[in-house]
Amino acid sequence: MAQSSASISTAENGLGMEVAFTRTFDAPRRLVFKVWTDPKHLAAWWGPHRFTNPRCEWDARPGGGIHIDMRGPDGHIYPMSGRFREVVEPERLVFISAALDESGKPIFEVLNTVTFAESGGKTILSLTARVITSTPNAPQYLQGMEIGWTQSLERLAAQVDKALSTGRA
Amino acid sequence: MVQYEMKHDSLSATFSALADPTRRAILARLALCDASVTELAEPFRMSMPAVSKHLKVLERAGLIERGREAQWRPCRLRAGPLMHAAGWLEDYRRCWEESFDRLDEYLRTLKKEKQHGSKQRKH
Repeated sequence: MAQSSASISTAENGLGMEVAFTRTFDAPRRLVFKVWTDPKHLAAWWGPHRFTNPRCEWDARPGGGIHIDMRGPDGHIYPMSGRFREVVEPERLVFISAALDESGKPIFEVLNTVTFAESGGKTILSLTARVITSTPNAPQYLQGMEIGWTQSLERLAAQVDKALSTGRA
Repeated sequence: MVQYEMKHDSLSATFSALADPTRRAILARLALCDASVTELAEPFRMSMPAVSKHLKVLERAGLIERGREAQWRPCRLRAGPLMHAAGWLEDYRRCWEESFDRLDEYLRTLKKEKQHGSKQRKH
């Protein structure tokens, strides 16, 4: 049985730019890692329900390339490309992925970190997906200022709801 | 993995604007109430031009709007793009959840095939 939990972070990375969740699979870690790193296996489960993957290039080595064309039930193709950063068998995968626009140009990128932990013959899989952009980070001296403001980000989320319900936005 | 009818350009602008901690802090401050550039500059110990630069990025991304009053032109939070970005992330999460449903099923199929295979070998 698979179990899962999910959370969209609003505090740590600010304004929900990160998605994280954990799921338990009733299979040994080596097998789960294999179906994650062999493109033939990957194509069998990647994507939402009723999607297929007519093109599935997935070179699970550090620096290895990724290109997947997902085909929706209506025949529409959703291309994505990316690159592996880390491959540590059988415990960790880090890769960057980006959905492509109509001209094949990557839209903003997402850094995906997948970890595989074994527990009593089952595999606990955790995935963190963080939106990354090309915007350079703020200068070092600004970094400390964020700390005092972090709590108010939660209030921001509440305010957003309020603003929407009063029609201010 | 899949974007459901999202406007990529504006979404990209939203994420870029949010990538900076100072700009996130400015938004957090504006969530409490509207504020002038002077009021926004104060806690950051930043120059007015530096704050103005951040505000321009936020304004271009549609995350804030500026009042028309000539003297203090209050800045105001606009929630739309934030909700849009949160919606994209929610879609992304759902895509993964569905993939994981399929992965779960696939692993069960592999297991069954393996059991079946080893039984056949025994006979």
